[in-house]
Amino acid sequence: MRIGLEVHVQLPTRSKLFCSCPTSAQEPNTAVCPTCLGMPGSRPSMNRAAMEMGLMLAKMLGCRIPERTWFSRKTYFYPDLAKHFQITQYDTPVGEHGVYKFQGKDIRIRRVHLEEDPGKIKRVGRAGEESSLIDYNRSGIPLVEIVTEPDISSPAEARQFLSDLLTEIRHVIDLPEDGERSVRADCNISVGHERVEVKNVTGLKNVERALTFEAVRQTKLLRAGKKVERETRRFDEERKVTLAARKKEFEEDYGYIGEPDLGIFNIGDMARALALKETPLQTAERFQRDYGLNPQMSRQLVQTSMDLARLFEHMAEKVPVADVLPWITGTISSLWSELESLDDEMRDAMTGLVASCSRGEMNDQECQMRLRALITGEELTLLQSGAEELEGTIEDYLDRNPAVMEDYRKNEKSANRVIGEVMKASGGKYSSSQVVEAVRKAMESRR
Amino acid sequence: MDRDTVTRVAKVARLELTEEELVSFHSDLEKVLDYLSVLDEAPESGSFNFNPIPVEDVLRDDVPVQEHDPAVLLRDMRTYQDYIRGPLL
Amino acid sequence: MFCAINPDLDHLQDGQFDFHFSAKDNLTTVGLPTRAGSRILEGYRPAFDAHAVEAMRQAGGLLLGKTNMDEFGFGTFSTNSAFGVPRNPFDLDRSCGGSSGGAACATAVLDGHVALGVSTGGSISCPAAFCGVMGLTPTYGRVSRHGLLDYGNSLDKVGLISRRAADLEMHLRNIAGPDPRDPTSCAQPPMGKSAPVRSIAVPKDALEGVSDEVSRSFQDALDRLRDDLGLKVETVETPSFRFAMPSYYVLGCSEASTNLARYCGLRYGVQSEEITEHFDKYFSRIRSENFGREAKRRILLGTFARMVGFRDRYYMKALQVRELIIQEYQRVFQDHDLLLTPAMPFTAPRFDAIDDMDILEVYKADYLTIPPNISGMPHLSMPCGYAQGMPVGMQFVANHWQEGLLFDIAQRWEEAFRLRAPEVTA
Ligand SMILES: [Zn+2]
Repeated sequence: MRIGLEVHVQLPTRSKLFCSCPTSAQEPNTAVCPTCLGMPGSRPSMNRAAMEMGLMLAKMLGCRIPERTWFSRKTYFYPDLAKHFQITQYDTPVGEHGVYKFQGKDIRIRRVHLEEDPGKIKRVGRAGEESSLIDYNRSGIPLVEIVTEPDISSPAEARQFLSDLLTEIRHVIDLPEDGERSVRADCNISVGHERVEVKNVTGLKNVERALTFEAVRQTKLLRAGKKVERETRRFDEERKVTLAARKKEFEEDYGYIGEPDLGIFNIGDMARALALKETPLQTAERFQRDYGLNPQMSRQLVQTSMDLARLFEHMAEKVPVADVLPWITGTISSLWSELESLDDEMRDAMTGLVASCSRGEMNDQECQMRLRALITGEELTLLQSGAEELEGTIEDYLDRNPAVMEDYRKNEKSANRVIGEVMKASGGKYSSSQVVEAVRKAMESRR
Repeated sequence: MDRDTVTRVAKVARLELTEEELVSFHSDLEKVLDYLSVLDEAPESGSFNFNPIPVEDVLRDDVPVQEHDPAVLLRDMRTYQDYIRGPLL
Repeated sequence: MFCAINPDLDHLQDGQFDFHFSAKDNLTTVGLPTRAGSRILEGYRPAFDAHAVEAMRQAGGLLLGKTNMDEFGFGTFSTNSAFGVPRNPFDLDRSCGGSSGGAACATAVLDGHVALGVSTGGSISCPAAFCGVMGLTPTYGRVSRHGLLDYGNSLDKVGLISRRAADLEMHLRNIAGPDPRDPTSCAQPPMGKSAPVRSIAVPKDALEGVSDEVSRSFQDALDRLRDDLGLKVETVETPSFRFAMPSYYVLGCSEASTNLARYCGLRYGVQSEEITEHFDKYFSRIRSENFGREAKRRILLGTFARMVGFRDRYYMKALQVRELIIQEYQRVFQDHDLLLTPAMPFTAPRFDAIDDMDILEVYKADYLTIPPNISGMPHLSMPCGYAQGMPVGMQFVANHWQEGLLFDIAQRWEEAFRLRAPEVTA
């Protein structure tokens, strides 16, 4: 099975690609101007931030970046396309011939290019003869299109690839969390020889679903000795099936020509001047190399937060890695969401605690409580008395139910029962992370 | 250029031609294309630009500004609620 | 000659303005319709003034109205407008030239008038020559195209038509300069004063295919430039100019066919109140009903020239040819200040003669104005004589950004040559 993706991601600029309209608007047709409405006499002008983001992504994907680039007009007629041509890149994309390392294999990147999004259409009325209601707020939003070679071998892999890719993109260009929802992909898949394209699938889950449906459909056809037709299909999100798109009356001819209103851009120099931040997955790989972390742990670290990963590095400079890791992946990770901000002061305080614990100046319990007080801002004395009380409750329970320990030695999952019981008994007095940690500790010591 | 090509080009350009137009445009375009073949004699220079003067690196800062009131821009459009009414799909 | 008059004219006081001007109908104007000679833009009310219009108003100008033109600039005789045909003030049976025909006509009949024109392939030089006035087409990118309804974005230039050399310079200074709303205007150097013109190049085949009367006027003008103005006049060879015409039609039509794609009966201009058709059908119907014949012809030609399988032979080749022509000009300008040819191969033709011309004859009429236009060189059309009462024009071409040389020659020729006004009055 060969799968190739054409991924469209909206770039998080404040203004549109070729006009200064804001990119955030609620009411339909409020973030519009003569340019993005295609009014006569208007013309485009290029957003520097969008160009830089495009170049960062091309760099991140290891693409060859040309010295000069320009834009082209792709002409076709559809009600959401204000000028009836889309300004996109044809001959000189910002990046070509890249490679994305993914789970030990290379996914080749054919090209990365910038283009404008068309408006959004709301379909109303009977299927087959729906009318269109158009909102041009989206018209002119900058998009980057990333095209892979057909190097992906399963729908699940496609989803994982996209998820990894987005983690990286999010970090490199500060894409907001919800950027994922606006990811659209055209999915090319061939089980046999003929390729089918499923157009415009939104979101990671749907990409996997659409590809799985297509893989099964094509396999069935081939098993039955039938031919897979080379065609374009669309994905019905509600019914979770792909459907043959309505046959066009004729093949559209985009008739690409250069866009004379924007001029050309010397992006070679621009790209060289841009410093690329290490991406989260690159950081994870480096942690494996430099600190001997296992792949799962290092990925989890960067995916929880890049700040957490940086905190780890900071501590590891001063404290042996083996003494840092349990705290980073344990107490600190579990309380991470409660941390308001990680300034230098906080960072040094946490590092100090972990360091003195490592030197044997305080025991684990003490260190845990102090970290907790530091991160959540709770009173240390309250925590101390609370912790003792909690410990008492757990020890009590374990004394009364010796069978639990026997189960635990066979299967660690039985700790969940203890956690549940203690939570119930204490009536929500302690946070779940606190209980989880105390139970694990108590049970480990009895093992 | 044969007549089918004219028909196809007209379709791509979203023009419906009457029989009379088809005949006359066909003959016009044949004449013009015949004349354009002079281009084949021009030397290949390989280099090209999209403007007759160099226009390079004209970039705008990413600052949102709205100079025109959208209500004025939309005043002559056919709308429903705040949407623009388009044709059938 | 006007296709829309400023509705406020009656209430305006005479002393309120420093001068009066008009705008070609493809420049947007608040408060006046902007239809570019096309029925498809009936009803369009622009929300903004074109940059040049805005600049002229700010300089104290009173906008009299919009001047008639060939639909979207597609024509040489201003006979392709949906809103009537302007007539030549020297002979009402003859054309004003095109596509800025109304602009040249208004300048010829209104004393002290200055008209904003637009040239893509000669649309300022041609009508200026036919109407016996001066037409200045600046360097590509000198004047912002913000608010210009595009014909060919790599070819269009906003310029001026006037009867006084000083007006051309003064008003070009008003409308020129970088404008962030048109990135191609941001590449220009400032417009300086230039040293006086000393030498003029005339292509060896400048008079090939030119009518006898135009040839005679042009030869007389050459003599006077040499004898009265003391200029050095030399013959040069310009072999690649013969490729200018075909590449112009390929580039102009390719770009035009994409620019005109937006006109489809949605958002502005002609629109149906209720749309009950499929979009392909609706767009095709509106376009077919409202574009004129020449617009359709150029859309077809342009769409064809950029289609898969033809793009390399036509569109890409034409881009390369443009570079050749620019290089040819620059070679000439190493040794000469200006290049000179007649502006048009004949004087303003009669309308009945135009009816008899076939499409290639019409297209070929622009062969003298196209080379400077395709290469973005600034040029100036000046009256150089009269043949049977009709004006004859000559066209000076300067290197990119050298408008100063054109101002110099305009002023010196103006002193040497007596301009005639038509006997018709407005
Ligand atoms: Zn906009």
